[in-house]
Amino acid sequence: MIATNYVATVILELAFLIGLIVMISRARSGLKVPAIRKVAGLEALDEAIGRATELGRPVHYSPGIGDFQNAQTLASFAILGYVARMCAKYDTQLITTNRNPVVYSVTEEIVHQAFVAEGRADSFNPDDVRYMSDDQFAYASGVLGIMAREKVATNVMMGAFWAESLIFAEAGAITGSIQIAGTANTHQIPFFVAACDYALIGEELFAASAYLSKDPVLLGNLVGQDFGKIFAVAAMILGSIMATAGSNVLRDMLRK
Amino acid sequence: MRKELPIAICAVAALIYVVSTYISPTVFPAGPELVRELNVWYLLVFACAFAVGLVNLAQIHIRRITQRREGWQFSIILMSFMTLMLVLGVFTTGRGTYSDWLYQYWFVNPRATMYSILVFYIASAAYRAFRVKSFEASVLLVAAIIMMLGQAPIGEVIWGQIPKMSRWILNYPNAAGMRGITIAATLGGVATALRIVLGIERGHLGGMGE
Repeated sequence: MIATNYVATVILELAFLIGLIVMISRARSGLKVPAIRKVAGLEALDEAIGRATELGRPVHYSPGIGDFQNAQTLASFAILGYVARMCAKYDTQLITTNRNPVVYSVTEEIVHQAFVAEGRADSFNPDDVRYMSDDQFAYASGVLGIMAREKVATNVMMGAFWAESLIFAEAGAITGSIQIAGTANTHQIPFFVAACDYALIGEELFAASAYLSKDPVLLGNLVGQDFGKIFAVAAMILGSIMATAGSNVLRDMLRK
Repeated sequence: MRKELPIAICAVAALIYVVSTYISPTVFPAGPELVRELNVWYLLVFACAFAVGLVNLAQIHIRRITQRREGWQFSIILMSFMTLMLVLGVFTTGRGTYSDWLYQYWFVNPRATMYSILVFYIASAAYRAFRVKSFEASVLLVAAIIMMLGQAPIGEVIWGQIPKMSRWILNYPNAAGMRGITIAATLGGVATALRIVLGIERGHLGGMGE
């Protein structure tokens, strides 16, 4: 019934999903959810937006260049919602640049809704949510131009980034922006760590919505996710021991 | 209804993708066809969104030109080339046409130039990152020097073990760290997908997960 080579994947994913649903249900029924550690990059968002407000300069937000189907882009939307609300609250200009037209339509709605939610619908400027280009480097050059011309005070980059990551981060460093970046693309993380003030590494990006909203249901989901990680680490240790002892049972089982 | 309908559509579409991937086509023969159909729908949505993006771009730059805002001359260049490319693209397609020429010689080269700029940014970022300010920065600096020497022929001339050390750093500490991040990020991605399918996270609908 299950497609070839997917048996182990289906069983493991089902177990992971059940774990997540159990933790979400516990949180929904009011049971205590363990505290999660501080994420410096997300803690710094308020301070970074406050700095832009004090300087009277804009905040730039990039949701990356991933398309709408990319989990990192979807995780980025929650952070954009938060940043937009903060900017609306403090009446700070927020420039959101987009590479993907579908993502552009969504980010425009998110920013608009955030301004409406803060009672500042009149402050929302549709021109500040910009579609640049579908081409990676045309988008990159457009963002460079905005950073230099508009003298961006805070640069937030969250989502899927490729070669343009360092171009943005260095442009931000040259203009003296506070930079907060996050991606799960492992080959781009070192660039963000080297060039930005704060960097969210891998899964921290996906934890952002729970962290910022403090919603117990979302926090419950995070705890479930951690159980998945514990299982992965245990399987790796067990697999290493078995492989060292000459047994490939676990490896063959996971390949099915 | 404004939020429930998109969540319902999302859940149904996700279910189709999951079932088609994991269930054998002999049991669920309609699966691959449904996935193909959904992909066509996505392309249609993308095309419509592309038009919306084009309108946004035109609005911003036409306003900049009419109001003579700073850099309005560049907006004229952008609008001219965008219109030219659009018109040529509609009426001529294929190799050797004007649109192809415009793409190959006016677009590909500046794009390659932008990519090339990256090397200078890597140098300036490396300079900042490798300044020895802490123990971590020192470790980074030493590892980076070994890696760079290991990749260049001069490394082997200095000491024959440097390329081996470089490979060891790449294949063991680096690979272990990267795999750890990848596993955690993959689980995070699955959890995010589940939150969206179940309608728990609504960031993409303009909310904050409430």
